[in-house]
Amino acid sequence: MNWQPLLLSLQVTVVATMLMVVCGVPLALLLARRRFRGAALVETLVSLPLVLPPTVVGYYLLLVLGRGSPTVEWFGWQILFTWGAAAIASAIMGFPLFVLSARAAIAGVDPVLEHAARTLGSSELEVTRRVTLPLARRGILAGLVLGATRALGEFGATLMVAGSIPGRTQTLPLALYDAVQNRQYDQANVMVLLLTVLAFVSLWAVRRFEQPRQSFAASAISPQERL
Amino acid sequence: MTRTGSADLARASCLSADFALQRPDFSLTVRLEVGSEILVLFGPSGSGKTTTLNALAGLLAPDRGQIMLDGQILFRRNPEAKLVNVPARRRRVGYVFQNYALFPHLTARENIGFPLRGPDRQHRVDELLKRMNLAHLADRYPHELSGGQQQRVAIARTLASDPRMLLLDEPFSALDTAVRQHLQRDLLALQRELALPVIYVTHRLEDAFAVGQRLAVMHDGQLEQVGPIADVFRYPASPQVAEIMGIPNLFRARVTTAHADGLVLDWDGLELSALPQAIALGSMVTAYIRPEDVKILYPDRPLAEAVRDNLVTGRIVMSRPHPGGRVLHLALPNLYEIEVRHAAYTYAPLGLQVGDEVRLSLRRDALVVLSR
Repeated sequence: MNWQPLLLSLQVTVVATMLMVVCGVPLALLLARRRFRGAALVETLVSLPLVLPPTVVGYYLLLVLGRGSPTVEWFGWQILFTWGAAAIASAIMGFPLFVLSARAAIAGVDPVLEHAARTLGSSELEVTRRVTLPLARRGILAGLVLGATRALGEFGATLMVAGSIPGRTQTLPLALYDAVQNRQYDQANVMVLLLTVLAFVSLWAVRRFEQPRQSFAASAISPQERL
Repeated sequence: MTRTGSADLARASCLSADFALQRPDFSLTVRLEVGSEILVLFGPSGSGKTTTLNALAGLLAPDRGQIMLDGQILFRRNPEAKLVNVPARRRRVGYVFQNYALFPHLTARENIGFPLRGPDRQHRVDELLKRMNLAHLADRYPHELSGGQQQRVAIARTLASDPRMLLLDEPFSALDTAVRQHLQRDLLALQRELALPVIYVTHRLEDAFAVGQRLAVMHDGQLEQVGPIADVFRYPASPQVAEIMGIPNLFRARVTTAHADGLVLDWDGLELSALPQAIALGSMVTAYIRPEDVKILYPDRPLAEAVRDNLVTGRIVMSRPHPGGRVLHLALPNLYEIEVRHAAYTYAPLGLQVGDEVRLSLRRDALVVLSR
């Protein structure tokens, strides 16, 4: 068994997840807490990778990252057919799962708690850091796991922008495809098992995250006197 | 709304608010001066009480007007001057929210420490825990605390932010009577100690009487009357205020007997007995009886236990229908009128007509004596 694709997959997933968090948390805050023109448009755009064929997303990425694009012409940033391109493609495919989940979690935080923090002297940044995000953290974590799992399993867009170069851009799903093409069913079985277990474990984890301990839900509601 | 005596003008005012706000379905006008005292903002739900607090705390901006605290302009919006709107976090207006708004992911200790930073943070938190009798509960989460305990944590947390004023929104509404009375006494003591302006929002008359010094009656976004509580009761500025108070049969009486068996009140010549209560002999009290609790007696039937006390004769001066029954106005021997409500089917055999004399019982157990 060649472990290279697994390691590469993990590397791509970790970087993709970091990209999702860095871009996704501010966007989720914005969508949950601010009313602005075009919010619906932004939300639709973010959700688009959920329903588009991954190859379409990959094609857009080729336009954005390929020869003649600003990234290459202005910054000299040659990222196509490297593992970096795979990470970007995976991040975009996992992004809607993360943002929508985080947005819902943030919208579920009682705004009165944020008001309370303001009257206690907190700046908006502190309100976010000390109240909103900690209270939304289960939903955010659930979104993170979902997004990461989606990134791990990404195939189509990755193939378009990073190819399937063994040892360089060939992630686990791509290696699986190769193995089947070459009738290496032993290897394919191992990879299928691995990907299935990872997906199962992460969905299991999401369930756990989304069932809040009673504690948090209970206290915002009218308290019963128990002196 | 001008029943503010000269005593009010002499008071060194700490908060002065005069603002208005317009929404499609609601408009709010507030003009208030609050010194070092507890002002009760009283009114039915939806009358604008919480909106008023939010404006004072800086959580929403009025359309025009000015809010000043201790000589500092917190908010000013008018055509002649530059807009001032100090953000909530810089106002130092302590706000105890309805249902307390404790941070559910933090312990009591962490909640109280929330506004604090710096080296003596721990020390200050310990101090507040001790003074609010919370030391043994410091490491509990809000859901592990009773309503009264949560309330004390909320007040301690507000105090930690070193406020210049306190706003309390229905602070005791979710608590049972014994706990409420205890916390009301604590609040009075706290106000005396800190000498801050306190605005206390409630829709419960008993709460208003227990803690308030002055009362501001709010209705439909307007302040109908502001004044000492007893005055507002005795001289409602408008029928509206009387109605908001919801007490038709309100009267002032002197306590002529007070012992363990009960009170005897002298209501301008009419002796009434009431349930025992800790009230000083000779003091003037405000009391009322709900119109539903005045019982008309059948002359030919034996008296039930509950209606043997406070028997008086009344003459019917008015009778009109109301949803579900009738309203009678009866003139009592002391020349006051009392309102009686009853279901349409009761008293039918008596054939009550205007001008008739009837015997009444002002049920002893239904006579409410407000402790001030």
